[in-house]
Order: sequence, then structure tokens, then C-alpha cells
Amino acid sequence: MKNKLILIVLGMFLISLVSAVGVSYCCEKTKAGAECQNTEQTNCDAAFRSAPTSCESTAYCKLGCCYDSTEGVCMKNTPQITCQKNKGVWQDSASCEVPQCELGCCLIGDQAAFVSKQRCKRLSSIYNLEINFRTDVSNEIQCILSTTSDIKGACVFEKEFETNCKFITKDECFKSGETNVSFHENFLCTADELGTVCAKTEKTTCVEGRDEAFFVDSCGNVANIYDASKIKDPNYWKEVVTKADSCNPGASNANSASCGNCDYYLGSTCKTFQRGIDRIKASYGDNVCRDLGCTFEGKKYDHGETWCASAKGNLENLPGSRYFRMVCYNGDVLVEPCADYRQEICIQSDIDGFLTAACRANRWQDCNSQTKKKYCENKDKRDCKWIESGINNLQCVPEFAPGFNFWDEAKSESSDVCSKANVECTITCEKSLSGKEECESSPSGCGDEDGLSASWETKMNQVCGALGDCGVKKNYLGQAGFNEIGGED
Amino acid sequence: MKKSGQVTIFIILGVIIVAIAVLIFLFYPQIKSTLGFGEQSPSGYMQNCIEDSLTESIQKVSVQGGSLEPQHYFLYKDQKLEYLCYTEEYFLTCVMQQPMLKSHIEAEIKTNIQKDVGTCLESLKENYRKLGYNVQADEKDFNVELLPKFVVLNLGNSFSLTKGEETQNYETMKISVNSDMYELISIANSILNWEASYGSAETTTYMNYYHNLKVEKIKQSEGTTVYILTNRDSEDKFQFASRSIAWPAGYGEI
Repeated sequence: MKNKLILIVLGMFLISLVSAVGVSYCCEKTKAGAECQNTEQTNCDAAFRSAPTSCESTAYCKLGCCYDSTEGVCMKNTPQITCQKNKGVWQDSASCEVPQCELGCCLIGDQAAFVSKQRCKRLSSIYNLEINFRTDVSNEIQCILSTTSDIKGACVFEKEFETNCKFITKDECFKSGETNVSFHENFLCTADELGTVCAKTEKTTCVEGRDEAFFVDSCGNVANIYDASKIKDPNYWKEVVTKADSCNPGASNANSASCGNCDYYLGSTCKTFQRGIDRIKASYGDNVCRDLGCTFEGKKYDHGETWCASAKGNLENLPGSRYFRMVCYNGDVLVEPCADYRQEICIQSDIDGFLTAACRANRWQDCNSQTKKKYCENKDKRDCKWIESGINNLQCVPEFAPGFNFWDEAKSESSDVCSKANVECTITCEKSLSGKEECESSPSGCGDEDGLSASWETKMNQVCGALGDCGVKKNYLGQAGFNEIGGED
Repeated sequence: MKKSGQVTIFIILGVIIVAIAVLIFLFYPQIKSTLGFGEQSPSGYMQNCIEDSLTESIQKVSVQGGSLEPQHYFLYKDQKLEYLCYTEEYFLTCVMQQPMLKSHIEAEIKTNIQKDVGTCLESLKENYRKLGYNVQADEKDFNVELLPKFVVLNLGNSFSLTKGEETQNYETMKISVNSDMYELISIANSILNWEASYGSAETTTYMNYYHNLKVEKIKQSEGTTVYILTNRDSEDKFQFASRSIAWPAGYGEI
């Protein structure tokens, strides 16, 4: 009887201990306003449901796919309650592997989008164009490549006793409602044989959705790509010339005075000339191929290049330092910080002088548990380095020392991690009868009668510092750290 | 001599009068609306009356992650950015918080301009009454729709304006303002799906596809990522926050 009572009391004690530790609850809504979060019960909004289990185990917060049947948009990882509350259709597949979300190639006019069938229908209705949804195209790049723009040509018609012309598609031409209409595929309105009122000009224009600068005729129609050498060439004003057959193909032609064959992927696009931004004005017209490259810290980068910044304290991974990826697009340099506390590092590759960088996870977590050099330095698995003269059998340390929130003693594990590299140097000195002092140190060589060996101290601090924000260091701004011992800094 | 001088003055006066007549003939509609004595159509009046309020509402929600009063937000440069995908935990992908972003934004804009629409409708009726019209209006709800390049306000109210024998009927009115919100939201949805699947989205992919788009991704220390989408031509902006696959400091909490 006495034993049973002890067991009951012990059981109650354990239950209370477990609840005190803080079991994870699934809150339909947290006090902060987030929906369906696994957190402590105290964070749950009492006005909503909560359960002492993972959200995946509840019906209301189970993650699935939220389908917008009007827009044809599928949203992944959506809780059932959040989807239904917003009038979406919820399906039990967090990664949206459901028939409604299967992607295909949606061809709308001369544009393409790799979207769901319903999304394609919606886009077609918005743009008032016929639906063309192809399920045989399996990826986005193939889809974009499969676009075919309707062939344009000279649409000649009579208006106010004059032979007028518009450079449009055949379909647009015959639906234009003009009189005496005739369509001449691939011909420009300035072709002599058409005898229209439209004449060559020295003007150019930029066209929405195109990168190149184009000539325009006196009727305002877009003609061929701007080429100063062909401004008076009747053949160049007769028929459509492809981009590949235009001036200087395969080059960006940035800041070219004579060629408007700009290319976004090669680093240029058509823009109206602006003094101070564009170096050279076009020989004819107001538009140039603007150079989309960037200059950063005196160095020139191409449009589309990404590189790792050399930020303060990165080389030594000092406290507070962080990795950054820089991005050059459209003449702007954008700064993308990698995850803080050096939990991500920036990696960079150079392919024929074109830089590409990315932030990726710093895989330092299992370095300390590696006891063999070959496993430690396996770059496919981890970012560690081997130190021959380690401390406490600690020879495998992070290559990029992680950061700790050492100022928050309640949450930080910095003292636990850093203490792995604690080492004591014991110096024992004996005075012989002759008065000569002989000292021995353990570990060997750590000190002598004058005290700690400076080289040993530096070596130990290097191992210590490699573990993370440990040891004697300055921060990334160059300010020395401090240690509060006995009330003194 | 004196007589020929008088003739010249008359000729000059004649030319000036003819020129004024030609100008009035050519530009009458514009002059009429500029001077403000013309009678505007109800939809023209409503467009003028509500346009600023609509634009302001679009701008307000677009810099706050699509909400007028963000409930669960990240404070970035004194701006409350709604979390559109969020997890409180470390190492896990985020949970979608606003799966129907477009309809949510449409509802938010509607809420914000509701009062102004009512005021404009009342002043519209009042103005026509002052002009001697008998106004009959059918009170109906309105809706806001985000479309490519535009945000459209569809007013369901039908109007009947009667003056003497003549009656003009206006069934529905559409008020639109230029905005790239639709395009920016579509991109935001794509980014959010990437965040929910992999914890992060690659910004250059979007800038390669959309030549006039700027995508900024700013990771914060506690794991939140701020995304700022900007159309370089119109300078329209949409910014929001997400927290997915967040990394703790060191090994994480002990």
C-alpha cells in the first residue's frame, strides 16, 4: 500500500515535470497572430483551438494544397482551416501533387506561361484570347521556347484617297475594318513596291517586351532593328530582317552609336538616351542599347553576375561578421545577406570570367565528432578543417567558425561549445640545492618559469576560436571583447 | 493713307476672329472640360472623385504585404510587413498564412475605400440635382478587381438622370487606375511556394524572366526574409515577409 502511494506521488510528480518543461502544442492561432504553429501552450490564442500535439496530427491545421478555383493558383503547405476560411479548395497534398495543379504550357498570343489548366483559362479570359494549353510540354524552358508569334506584315488599305499601311498581323489586318485591304506577309510598310504613304525616317523606338531599338516609319510603324549603315538602304526598309541577320548579332551592342541589336541576356536593353547614364548617343534617333552592367567598388560587373562580397571580418569569421551575395541586374547592385551567425556561407564560381555566387548552408555541426582526417575533410559532407595540434582530441573544427548569441546566457550554448577547447597548463617548478629553478609544464611546452608560453597560448586560442565565437577575439568592427570576471571587465 | 490703315486693322481683326473660331472648333471639348463648365458623365465624375483614394489604398496595402492593418508582421524600416508564410520553428519550411492573396488584397482595398465611394456617390447625385436633373440611383455593392496593368473598381449602381423629356441611363461604372499589383502578386505567390517548399527563392530567376522586375531578398538575423518586388518602369512595389527554414545561432537553443 505504501509502495503504491509512493508510485502515485512519483507519477504525479513526473507528469507535472513534463508539463512544466513545455509540451509542444498546435495552436490554430498564436497570440502574435500566426496561424497553425507548433509552439508552447502559453503562446496560443485562447479564442482559438489548440491541442497538445503536432499540427500535422490535427484535422484543422493539417497541411495541404490550397487551390484557388477562380485564378487557378495552387499554394503549398497551407493549413486546412486557413484555406477554407479564405474560400479556397483544400486538398490533402502539401506539395500540391493534385490533378488541378498539374502544370502545362499555356500559349497566349506570342507569350507563354508554364501554369495549371485553370490558370491558363483565366489568363486567356483576361487577355481575351483563345486557350492553347499543351500538356506534352514538360518544363518551363521548353514552354517558353515553343512560343510562336503571329507573322506580321504590311496591311495596306485605302483611307482618305491615300494608300495607307499598318505593320500588323494578318488576322488584325482583316479585322481592321478598313477598305481595299491587302496583306503582304513579312513586308514593311516602307517597301517601294507597295506604294504607301509611309516613308523611311531617322527615328527609332523601343518596343514593350522587346530588347532591341527599332526604326520607325513616317506612319509610326515599327520597322527593322536600328542599323545606322542601312538607314538609306531600300532593301532594309523592304522586308523584315531577323535579329540573327541584323547588325552585330550575338553581342550586347551596349553604347553602340550605330547598332540597336540589344540583348538583355548579354547585358543591354533599349532605352531612351540619358546623358550621364549612357556613354554614347546613337547616330540617329533618341534610343540606345543601354549597358546593364554595374560598377561596384571600382570594379565592373556584367549584368546577371553574382559574387560574394568581401565583408568585414569574413576572412577570420569574427563575431558579428556575415556572408553576403551581391547581384548585378539592370545596372543595380543588390545586396543579399546570407543567414546570420554564419549559418550560411557564400560560395562563388568563375566561368570564363562570369561570376556566379550563392548562399548555402554552413555544414559545421558535426565537425567536432570527426576523429579521422579523411572524414573531417570530406567536402561533400561537411565544411571542416583538420588541425594537427588539437586540444582535448579536438582536431576537426569548422572551416567557417559559426556565430553564437553569447550575450543571451539563457539561450546560448556558447559556453558549452567553447568549453570543449578548455585546457589547463600546469607549471611545476622545483628549486635545486644549488638554487637553480627547474620547471616542467603539462601539457609539455605550455610554459616555463616565466609563465605561459606565448606561442602555445596563440595556438590554443586558434583552436578555441575555430569552434565558433570563442576565445580571445575582436568583433567584425575591430572592437576587442571583454570578460567579466569578479566584476571587472 | 488713313483709310488704308483702317482697312489693315479690320483685316487683322478678321484674321484673329477666324483664328479664334478655328481654335474653338478644334479644341472645344478640351477647353470645355478644362474650364469646368461642362457636364461630366457619372463615370467620369466618379473616376475623378475616387481615383486618388483608390491609388492610395493600393499603395498602402502593397507596402504592408497586402494588409491594411497587418496582424502578424515583421517590422522592417518602420514598416509593418505581413508574414505571408511563417513558421516559428527552426529548420522547418513555412506554413502558408495567406493562400488567397489576390482576393485578400481586393477585399482590403474595398474596405479602405468603402467610405470614400459612398461620399463620392452622394456628391455625384447632389451635383446632378444642382444641374436640374432628377436623379434616381439604385444602391448596389461594388467590388475591386486586380487585373494585369490595372486595378478596376466595378460599381454596380445604376443611374437614371432625367431632365425634361430626356432620360439618360447608366447601368454600371468602371473606375480604373494603372497598377502592376496583379503581376507583382503573381510573382509573390510563386516566391511563397518556393519558400514553402525549399525555404528560399532564387531572385535572379524572376529577374531573368521579367526584364523590368527588381527582386530584393533581405535575410534578417532571426530568420525572417523580407522580399521587395519592384517594377522598374512604373516603380510599383509589393513587399512582404516570410520565415522559412530559419537557422538559430550556434546549435540552437539548449
